[in-house]
Amino acid sequence: MADPYKPRAPFAPWDRRELPGLFDVEESARRVGNYKWAEMKLFEALGGWVATVPELDVKMRLGTHCYKHAWHSELWHKRLPELREMNPDRLTQPANDAMVRFVEAMTEPEAPEQTIEKLVGVYRVFIPHFIAAYTFHKNNTSQITDAPTIRSLQFILQDEFDDWRDGEMLIQSLIETPDEVDRASAHQARLGKLMLEAGGIAGPGSIGAATPATTAATSGGGS
Amino acid sequence: MRKFFPVEELARDSRFNQVTMKDRMADPRSALGKDEPRQKSNRLVPSRPDASAAARGLMHGIFVGEIQALEGAGRTCHDFRTAGDSARRAQDDAHGDDSFVDAVPFALKLDMARQAWDEARHVEISVKLSDWMGGEIGEFAENTVLFQAACSSDPILRLAGVNRALEGLAIDVFTTMKEFGDLAGDPYLEFCEDWMLADEVTHVKMGSDWLRRVTEHDPDRRKQALEFQSVVDKLFSYGGTRSDSQESPIGLARRFRELAGFTADEVEDIAEVSLAALDERKVAVAKMQAAAAGVELLATT
Repeated sequence: MADPYKPRAPFAPWDRRELPGLFDVEESARRVGNYKWAEMKLFEALGGWVATVPELDVKMRLGTHCYKHAWHSELWHKRLPELREMNPDRLTQPANDAMVRFVEAMTEPEAPEQTIEKLVGVYRVFIPHFIAAYTFHKNNTSQITDAPTIRSLQFILQDEFDDWRDGEMLIQSLIETPDEVDRASAHQARLGKLMLEAGGIAGPGSIGAATPATTAATSGGGS
Repeated sequence: MRKFFPVEELARDSRFNQVTMKDRMADPRSALGKDEPRQKSNRLVPSRPDASAAARGLMHGIFVGEIQALEGAGRTCHDFRTAGDSARRAQDDAHGDDSFVDAVPFALKLDMARQAWDEARHVEISVKLSDWMGGEIGEFAENTVLFQAACSSDPILRLAGVNRALEGLAIDVFTTMKEFGDLAGDPYLEFCEDWMLADEVTHVKMGSDWLRRVTEHDPDRRKQALEFQSVVDKLFSYGGTRSDSQESPIGLARRFRELAGFTADEVEDIAEVSLAALDERKVAVAKMQAAAAGVELLATT
């Protein structure tokens, strides 16, 4: 039997987590506030669109996805006070004005003939940018100090990938003519340009900045 | 996207046929609308000669009701500004939009999103159950009155009308269908109805809790919401479709209503309204039958 009093390394040999991370508490909270705002806008839009789409399968998926994004915003809402933001509403903000314009443009289609546009905005522009911003955050924040954010990111990313696949397959099944391919592409390009202007879900730097980050420790303390 | 969505624009594919409450009650297949002699009990039980068609009809009604409940919950997520959402407030101000009475708590919206998911599952379940029972989408008309109750510009009135009145009715309907499945020896139907019933009890409780919390210091608003609920309850008791009487196809599920947060007095009020509606309908049917007999007499002379 192994000696229980024999000294062991605090980190097992297979545990390669690192202390350094790109974000300090303040920066992490800012990003989380942006995520919460964007997830809120997404679940509100999906809920509103349910009544406007005639396709029964799409209607049911939108209702299901509506809840998933509401739950994501709830996770971020609960994380904010843990990041020293005792008034979560203060940081529940869009990254910038361009992000507000993006959401306005994305939620513009309402007519029953515009299901393609509705889905393209969400599943070909908004959700891929969520996946990008969340992946960047997960891969660059401190694996030890910011573990609660990473845990939420992992749950949320699983949902985002599942929903993206659902949405993309719905779009592919709805597009039946070359004209509809053009419609989808034109709408994606229009929204993609607005998202470019916004710089991503958390603004410029959502998936890393051209200039090196200076906000947090980037060296030392590794296991 | 507009903030409030009109019931006549609810998007449907070509299989659906929408009708008003008035159309539905004029349908000779309606609960008490037939002029042939009625049996003693109209309760939906397998021994009824028309049990199969009536159960399919009720299941289709559940199916379209779930679609509208999904749409209503989704619209409540969208139509009202979340308390503390200053960016949305700025947008509303910029658009000169003051069409809403209030911002709603974030947690209320989360509950509505959760309800949207639940209702989406109920649509899925209803489609599969309809198919199981030999029904088809569009076989019966869709009465859109449920969504109308979800069109109030006051979120608390929506909760009173939808979560307490309509979801309360859903508790009664699912209890009846669950019992029907049990009596008919259909465990598949009974199993699914029991799961949906559990969700509906949760939705009614959500409505009861939010009504109490949001109107805690606003007795006038609470009174207004409860009055609206009463109107919707009466509307859905129209024709005596649901009551304690065996003459109604659907019974009043008293125990599950209490679990969902209805007080004993509230359940009694609904029971009285439902019985009154049944009596009103019987008088109306008697008048229609007398008028029809008069026309028949004229035609033969």
